[in-house]
Amino acid sequence: MGFPLLGALLLIAVGAAVVVPLLRPASLARAVTLVAMLAMLGLALRIFAAFDGSVDAPAVAFEWAPIAVLRFGVDGYNLYLLLLTTLLFPVVLLAIWRTPHATSRLHLGLLLALQAGLLGTFAAQNLLLFFVFWEAVLIPMLLLILVYGGSERRRAALTFFLVTMAGSVLLLAAVILLGALHWHETGAWSFDYDALAALHLAPATQWFVFGAVALACAIKSPLVPFHAWLPLTYREASTAGTALMAGVLSKMGAYGFIRLAVPFAPDVAPLAAPWMMLLAAVSIVYGAIAALRQTRPGDVVAYSSLSHMGFIVLGIFAFQATALQGALLQMLSHGVVAAGLFLLLGLLEQRRDDGGTLALRAPRLAVATMLLVLASLALPLTSGFTAEFLILLGAFSEGWAAWLQQDGVVRLAAALLATTAVVLGAAYMLRYARTLLYDAPPSGADPRIADLGGREALAIAPLLAVVLALGVWPAPWIAKTAQVTAQISSYSVVPSAVSAAHGEAVRTVRSPHGN
Amino acid sequence: MATDLFYGLLPDHLVLALMLALMLLESLRVPPAWGRIVYLALLGGAGAALAHQIANGYVADIAGGEVIIDRFALSAKAVLVTLGFTAGIALPRAMSYKTWLLLASSLFGALIMMDSAGFVALFLGIEMLSLPAFALMVHQRGASVAAEGAFKYLLMSSIATALLLFGMSLAYMSTGSLAIADFVAIVGSGRGLDTAATLLMLAGFFMKAAVFPLHGWAPDAYSAAPLPVTAFLASVVKGAVVLALVRVFAAATLDATVVTVVTALALASIVYGNLAALAQTRFRRLLAYSSVAHAGYMIFALAGATGSRADDLLWYVGIYAAATLLACASYAVLARDKGNGDDARDELDTLDGGFARHPLAAVLLALAVLSLAGLPPLPGFFAKLFIFQSAIASGHLVPAVLAFAGSFIGLGYYVAIVVRLFRSDTMVQPMQQPQ
Repeated sequence: MGFPLLGALLLIAVGAAVVVPLLRPASLARAVTLVAMLAMLGLALRIFAAFDGSVDAPAVAFEWAPIAVLRFGVDGYNLYLLLLTTLLFPVVLLAIWRTPHATSRLHLGLLLALQAGLLGTFAAQNLLLFFVFWEAVLIPMLLLILVYGGSERRRAALTFFLVTMAGSVLLLAAVILLGALHWHETGAWSFDYDALAALHLAPATQWFVFGAVALACAIKSPLVPFHAWLPLTYREASTAGTALMAGVLSKMGAYGFIRLAVPFAPDVAPLAAPWMMLLAAVSIVYGAIAALRQTRPGDVVAYSSLSHMGFIVLGIFAFQATALQGALLQMLSHGVVAAGLFLLLGLLEQRRDDGGTLALRAPRLAVATMLLVLASLALPLTSGFTAEFLILLGAFSEGWAAWLQQDGVVRLAAALLATTAVVLGAAYMLRYARTLLYDAPPSGADPRIADLGGREALAIAPLLAVVLALGVWPAPWIAKTAQVTAQISSYSVVPSAVSAAHGEAVRTVRSPHGN
Repeated sequence: MATDLFYGLLPDHLVLALMLALMLLESLRVPPAWGRIVYLALLGGAGAALAHQIANGYVADIAGGEVIIDRFALSAKAVLVTLGFTAGIALPRAMSYKTWLLLASSLFGALIMMDSAGFVALFLGIEMLSLPAFALMVHQRGASVAAEGAFKYLLMSSIATALLLFGMSLAYMSTGSLAIADFVAIVGSGRGLDTAATLLMLAGFFMKAAVFPLHGWAPDAYSAAPLPVTAFLASVVKGAVVLALVRVFAAATLDATVVTVVTALALASIVYGNLAALAQTRFRRLLAYSSVAHAGYMIFALAGATGSRADDLLWYVGIYAAATLLACASYAVLARDKGNGDDARDELDTLDGGFARHPLAAVLLALAVLSLAGLPPLPGFFAKLFIFQSAIASGHLVPAVLAFAGSFIGLGYYVAIVVRLFRSDTMVQPMQQPQ
């Protein structure tokens, strides 16, 4: 099922990015962009529906050069992300439809190029290809911030670009090193994921690869203390830029952890896992506390984003099927929620309004905001709860098992620390909602503003639908990725009866849905 | 044999014919507009001849161990002729026959170097390449800075020549032959004499290619020359020198000392070139320092021992030189309507808001500099990738990481150019953020 659909998806992404900037007038370019994005969403939905959870999904492969067989594929790891990427772009475009940005052909071209880069990063099954797309994403993002950002856009664009690139220096070295080791072992260059994962690497090499990947991903996600670029960039980027950065770009980092750091350093990653969990927990708590201290709504969402990204990393490095499942769901959930919150702020900005008593002045906008806020603070029956609960459950059971076996207390401590952030999360998100929805607006605000219009409602509705669907009935979503998450137990260094039995239970419970 | 002499050297003959035709046209006082047409036509012919030879897999030993046509010679000549052709299209000004003639003779020297299998032909080629370049720099320029830059180039180039000759004579002392192949066999012997010959020859090449710390002439020479000449120096001339280096050292086994020296110089070149370029405010000086950094990447290829040096550097030279030519041509377009394309004044601020004025030129310039910066998916990334692949596969992981860090510094000024191009408030009014 993979070939025609995924191939078509990538072709549309690249083709549209090339063609759209050449179209005149700009309104035609905008319409074509939307059609292309919807077509990609349709294809991604087909791929999602057809995906049967098998680990060895077929892939698109073509030989570009003797050293590089380019392979794209859909597997449990990137399934949600492909859906998330193709969903957010048309949503963002619809939300900014009437702004000058939406009729700038440069802006449309950059959006499409960004989407092509993201889809390539997620779908690549070849490390070099992954790296190329991973970096290629930076160019459109740089220009999106630089041309369409706020008053300090130049500084923001350069900070974002240079800090992110700094992480790539070691990543590139690790990529080439893996290829070179494959060359030494087999006599042929290959960067294919499967080929590289089959290599037998010395521990020192694995440490280097793990460190390089972890650094690049920690900057991209970001994790504390690598988040220095985040506040400025999220504040200065345009609405579309911020929504996409928080929604999708940040997921590249999380995806890199699970796709590269774990498989290519299989012996080292479990050893580093407790400390990565601790780092994630620190990130979660730091982000939450920082969010509590912010006064601008945009900054609250930016720091909450830092906190929620920490949950994903925590889930991945718990090395436990349930937690990993939660992490994959959290990528989707946080992508939808963060992008939605930023877009709603952007809609307020379009109305030149600073919020306050929106519940009275714009009830539909207020309801949408509130639902996303509730998902963000992980209220049961929203996507945030499903994801974070699974992560914390898995992390805690793994930490508990490790502690019982006197295998260190770091994991347990990290899980407990992360749990406190749920309370903090409720505090800052409810305060955010109160400021926007119920507090008196700043004096001079227009008492009547336009409520969510039809087009805007159409843009936001899919996001709310995903939030509720994931929260109310997560089983069909989980069934798609159950097989791939179950694999993670094979890496774990805690051969605990608890986690093994748990992983087994998860597998048996879910397999009826899966097949 | 006679057919080899004709067919094998056909591309070189065509460039020679080009030189004669240009001289003839000038003495017959034909309007100068024909210069470009004749230049492109005959270079196109040379390119076609090369394509035919490559398609046939043509190989010949033409003049007993001095001139040889092999796969590398054909590919390298194809790269150089393509670059010369591109330069012919991209050069902006209406140029005199003398300029075309000097370009053609420099290119002729470059082609001879690629054919050489012995040091005599190689040496002739190098001199043939460099001497017209001095003339190009001062031709039609009254400014004393031009003379100063050209003189500095001439002086440093003569020292480089002396170093090369010294190295060649030591090699002759050791092997009793002037064939490059005999020299290659003794490069890795570890004897003092052979190592000295290797190092002297490398020093000569490094000086011509402006590798730190032998780069002193490049910034002055590049900024003194007219922009088209700078473009030619930084692309074709520099590329030819590096390919000549490959011609000699492609298959040589370098001993550990030499590899250490080369790696250290490569790193120093990358870091110094990029740091110095960060501080520049003028386009041609920036180009000069960036070319010092690129010389560093190129000689880094010598550290690789996987037998792919020739291929790696063919890619690198082709892509680097093409990007440089593209950058210079687009810069000239962007600078033209501010009236300072060719003047001594070539401040970078002429690029400010370039996208609003010339979208196509601005996008091309942005792509060219990002390619030079080595950002995927642009070709410059793959050029660097091939070199670092070989280096890392040969066990030079730490120098490679340091080189990446050095190239990260380079991002600073390349991206600054992009920032300037897209810096305009006239394009789209930025949205006001709520305070």
